[in-house]
Amino acid sequence: MPPPAASSRYPSPSQPSGKSEVTDLKSQLRQLAGSRAPGVDDSKRDLFKKVISYMTIGIDVSSVFGEMVMCSATSDIVLKKMCYLYVGNYAKGNPDLSLLTINFLQRDCKDEDPMIRGLALRSLCSLRVPNLVEYLLGPLGSGLKDNNSYVRTIAVTGVLKLYHISASTCIDAEFPATLKSLMLHDSDAQVVANCLAALQEIWSLEASHSEEACREKESLLSKPLIYYFLNRIKEFNEWAQCLILELAVKYVPSDSNDIFDIMNLLEDRLQHANGAVVLATVKVFLQLTLSMTDVHQQVYERIKSPLLTLVSSGSPEQSYAILSHLHLLVVRAPFIFASDYKHFYCQYNEPSYVKKLKLEMLTAIANESNTYEIVTELCEYAANVDIEIARESIRAVGKIALQQYDVNAIVDRLLQFLEMEKDYVTAETLVLVKDLLRKHPQWSHDCISVVGGISSKNIQEPKAKAALIWMLGEYAQDMSDAPYILENLIENWEEEHSAEVRLHLLTAAMKCFFKRAPETQKALGIALAAGIADFHQDVHDRALFYYRVLQYDVHVAERVVSPPQQAVSAFADTQSSEIKDRIFDEFNSLSVIYQKPSYIFTDKEHRGPFEFSDELGSTSITPEVSSDIVPAQQFEANDKDLLLSTDEKDDNKGLSSNNGSAYTAPYESSNISSQMQELAISGPAASATTTQSSFDFDDLLGLGLSTAPAPTPSPPLLKLNARAALDPRAFQQKWRQLPISLSQEYSVNPQGIAALTVPQSLIKHMQSHSIHCIASGGQSPNFKFFFFAQKEAEPLDYLTECIINSSSAKAQIKVKADEQSTSQAFATVFETALSKFGMP
Amino acid sequence: MKAQSEELFVCFHVNGEASGRRSNLTIRAEKRERERERESSTGHRCFSVYFSSPIPEVMLEKQLTGHRVDRSICAWFWDQADSFKSFPVIASPTHYLFQIVRDGITFLACTQVEMPPLMAIEFLCRVADVLSDYLGGLNEDLVKDNFIIVYELLDEMIDNGFPLTTEPNILREMIAPPNLVSKMLSVVTGNASNVSDTLPSGTGSCVPWRPTDPKYSSNEVYVDLVEEMDAIVNRDGELVKCEIYGQVQMSSQLAGFPDLTLSFANPSVLEDMRFHPCVRFRPWESHQILSFVPPDGQFKLMSYRVKKLKNTPLYVKPQITSDSGACRVSVLVGIRSDPGKTIESITLSFQLPHCVSSADLSSNHGTVTILSNKTCTWTIGRIPSDKTPCLSGTLALETGLERLHVYPTFKVGFKIMGIALSGLRIEKLDLKTIPPRLYKGFRAQTRAGEFDVRL
Repeated sequence: MPPPAASSRYPSPSQPSGKSEVTDLKSQLRQLAGSRAPGVDDSKRDLFKKVISYMTIGIDVSSVFGEMVMCSATSDIVLKKMCYLYVGNYAKGNPDLSLLTINFLQRDCKDEDPMIRGLALRSLCSLRVPNLVEYLLGPLGSGLKDNNSYVRTIAVTGVLKLYHISASTCIDAEFPATLKSLMLHDSDAQVVANCLAALQEIWSLEASHSEEACREKESLLSKPLIYYFLNRIKEFNEWAQCLILELAVKYVPSDSNDIFDIMNLLEDRLQHANGAVVLATVKVFLQLTLSMTDVHQQVYERIKSPLLTLVSSGSPEQSYAILSHLHLLVVRAPFIFASDYKHFYCQYNEPSYVKKLKLEMLTAIANESNTYEIVTELCEYAANVDIEIARESIRAVGKIALQQYDVNAIVDRLLQFLEMEKDYVTAETLVLVKDLLRKHPQWSHDCISVVGGISSKNIQEPKAKAALIWMLGEYAQDMSDAPYILENLIENWEEEHSAEVRLHLLTAAMKCFFKRAPETQKALGIALAAGIADFHQDVHDRALFYYRVLQYDVHVAERVVSPPQQAVSAFADTQSSEIKDRIFDEFNSLSVIYQKPSYIFTDKEHRGPFEFSDELGSTSITPEVSSDIVPAQQFEANDKDLLLSTDEKDDNKGLSSNNGSAYTAPYESSNISSQMQELAISGPAASATTTQSSFDFDDLLGLGLSTAPAPTPSPPLLKLNARAALDPRAFQQKWRQLPISLSQEYSVNPQGIAALTVPQSLIKHMQSHSIHCIASGGQSPNFKFFFFAQKEAEPLDYLTECIINSSSAKAQIKVKADEQSTSQAFATVFETALSKFGMP
Repeated sequence: MKAQSEELFVCFHVNGEASGRRSNLTIRAEKRERERERESSTGHRCFSVYFSSPIPEVMLEKQLTGHRVDRSICAWFWDQADSFKSFPVIASPTHYLFQIVRDGITFLACTQVEMPPLMAIEFLCRVADVLSDYLGGLNEDLVKDNFIIVYELLDEMIDNGFPLTTEPNILREMIAPPNLVSKMLSVVTGNASNVSDTLPSGTGSCVPWRPTDPKYSSNEVYVDLVEEMDAIVNRDGELVKCEIYGQVQMSSQLAGFPDLTLSFANPSVLEDMRFHPCVRFRPWESHQILSFVPPDGQFKLMSYRVKKLKNTPLYVKPQITSDSGACRVSVLVGIRSDPGKTIESITLSFQLPHCVSSADLSSNHGTVTILSNKTCTWTIGRIPSDKTPCLSGTLALETGLERLHVYPTFKVGFKIMGIALSGLRIEKLDLKTIPPRLYKGFRAQTRAGEFDVRL
């Protein structure tokens, strides 16, 4: 097969270059169609091959559809297969023509050869032309009863295909019931597996509007059925085993015997050659034993070895997927893997995505017993040819240093890095030394002497430069030439492109000034002048602030800029434990790869308005909506935002519990002591009332509702802030955090529907009722809006998702509110506003 | 909310280097509203499969479900930066892409619903294995010449996005592999199809990996122990890690329904095993005996791992000293612990650091080649009896550099026939009913896997 012309290779469904060939093919096929000459099949085969190769490379050959179908009346099975392939690809676009093919496919469904019967049936079901479903029923029905299992297997999948083309036809023909009995009684494992896959899908789709399907779906998880599958699991092929194992994950065992029975049945699956089966089994084990702590630990021990073997035996891609899962387990139970650290040593030839994961593992499992070896190993990577890995490994050393109590040896290693005189190694190390000093100020002496020897000229990376400058400022008293280095840097202010570095320069100059005023005064003056003239807003503001604070009172300035050093006890974790748990629940899924729970990256619900507005397409966008497009594009960044927000949360926690303790502790203790005094005076009974009353006081302050009388049946009229403002990101975050407090369906009056030609009309209308739109989209008849509103005089938000179907004149709303109790009142306001839509 | 479950699409395409032709392509994200309920996404479905070759070009595409995946997804993929693109799992704006790369061909699968990532990757690996088995290798021309067969295979391997049969023995019965004979026949008779006439009986058999009744005039069964040694030697010459990953490969041509047992003399050295589905679990658990009905033809019976080996058969002693812009290199290679058989095909390769401007290396045994990408390979072959192979020479550093800061890692290759370094030995192979004219054969070999010597 000669490769097609280069110009038409890519991507070109409509490129002109393929056209002449296609017309050529068309006429050749036409000539052959009626011919019965000997050897005609061979010429046909060549032509078919050509057609399919064009199709393969993306040239549109749908125009020869008729000729292909005419030529397909043949007994040659290869020709048939090629024709099936072609027809399957283009039938959707040519419903009229595909009627032609139905005839010969139906005939083939009755062929003697089961292979042809099967193939024909598969192609028939793959046509996916809605108005031809009636032709499917007969062949499918007989296919399900066929005495050959190959045909039955295909027929079962065919039922599922039919369901997706026309659900009602499939249900009316009672195919699900047939599948169920096949699933329970067929002798062929593949037929059973396909039945299971098809039924799971059909019933869970039906479950939303049919109680019976819901029951059937539940019944798939019944004990007898689960055991029916698990007992026979070895008869199934590996992929079907995955399917069954996933079903087993959802099964809720009745008691611990049940759990152990299942684990015994499945234990040998851990030694299956297929990694997917192993991982699915691991998931079953982990989920089953979640409530039994001891057994859960044993499960870790048991699954460790198979997983480690999978890592080292498969292709890099497989290793990557498994390592991602191992990473999750390692983070949950580092001590179990602590002795296996050598498995995570990087081999030279491994792709960097595997190496990166391995470095993370090494960081996670480092403890007192293995730190020395791990750090030694990591240090070897610092000289690695792969610069990215070298950087990562230095960061890993730093992370380990921050986790450990005994950092003596590690500090030496870090300082050795500085002596390697490679710019990126130095840069990474400086950042780490800075973090280390923030946590362990006692090392300042050793570090500073080495850091002082580094010439600032050799450091280009902003982060590293900022770190060095921070150290110069912080330890100005220990470094004799600190003011002069700073002065030098300040003199080159104009050449410094990074705002971060300039900010640090300002602060460092200030700190240095408080410690060694005479030497720094001039430099500080230059820095402040340059800072105030800086075009970067933050730099300008900070310089101005310093200047004014200095003017106001030098001592106050010192207290603000250079307070006594406080060791940071814990750096913010990148992920909250809640998120980690959620990922763990989604073991063996994409969530693990992305290290994010799936709701962040899959759920439309949580993507909220932004994703939706992205889907609008350009047609319905007017200026109002297009302003929402910007957040849509920021979606990528949003995932990070969530992580960031949890960071902040953790950070705050850390602050209040650790760093902030200096401030809060005395306050609390004085509080307690005053209560103690009261207690001493008035005895136990009185103290109880005091605490009680103080609680009440709290309640009145914050949560007055709990003591307030029960809400009156008619909700009070809610007043909304007409100028409420909420930025899209905050909206998204809230939407993700808050539970749905209300979900209702209204009908929209006909005038409203008539007025709703474009989303903007409703947006304007709702705005007049102080309900603001943050994003909207859709086209007739389906529109989707995200609204928000704010309670007057109180910063309480109401977020609403509203879906309007203009053909059925229904509006569905979901309300999420800061204050749950008033969401009904808000809904009433919303409904009133909506009902007035379209009224003159 | 309409739940949309199981869909997966697979595409095989070729690994993309930048090319001028693809400049003005933009991707339009699919505007389809696809909502999804996690609960209901029970199965897994690939939407389509693409194969593509080193220049960005789709060689082959197969849509697996009613939901068509636009080919523009490939264009999006090619437009990604290399560092991002190399990940096996990628989230595009519309789909999740799984990819594996084999011999320069990228196999790409797309899905929009949650599915176990390993399942998709494993499946793609199987596709690659089966194809290279069928076509006798994998490259662009082979796939293009035989794309009809590839389609046929895919048709049987995956239906509606869910993997069916990936067992090569079964597939071989459904679709005849392209071979010289059938090509000859088609020339001579003009009437040979590459579809076998019979239906795969294995699909109906309760032993899914075995055809019902293969017939052979002479019965043969061969067992190969193939071991790979992974090792890391650190800068100080210490053996940091040394383990063996081994496989028991079999080739069986036995008539009827043979029941085999294979036992080892010292099964206790094995650490963690994985078995072909044909191996019965209980006999292994209780007596460490492999009892099984083998597939027909070649297959991997089991794989295992042996940890904590004390020694590598070879030592490699590299030394690099650098001073005032020049480096002296010397590397010695010799036998550390004699395995009892000849160590063959010894090679040593390493990447010269970027800062090396030129290298002048020579050896007293074997040949040294330096490629333009600064990969240096020293082919030693066998260790001579009279001298220790030594590579020596100088490296010139780029101007301005005094000393070398980045050190190469040496990758060692070797092969030893006739011995399994883990010490594993096969005791015996028995057949329940002994067929006429039975030949049994055993072999063993060890080769270097990832054997790194760091400097």
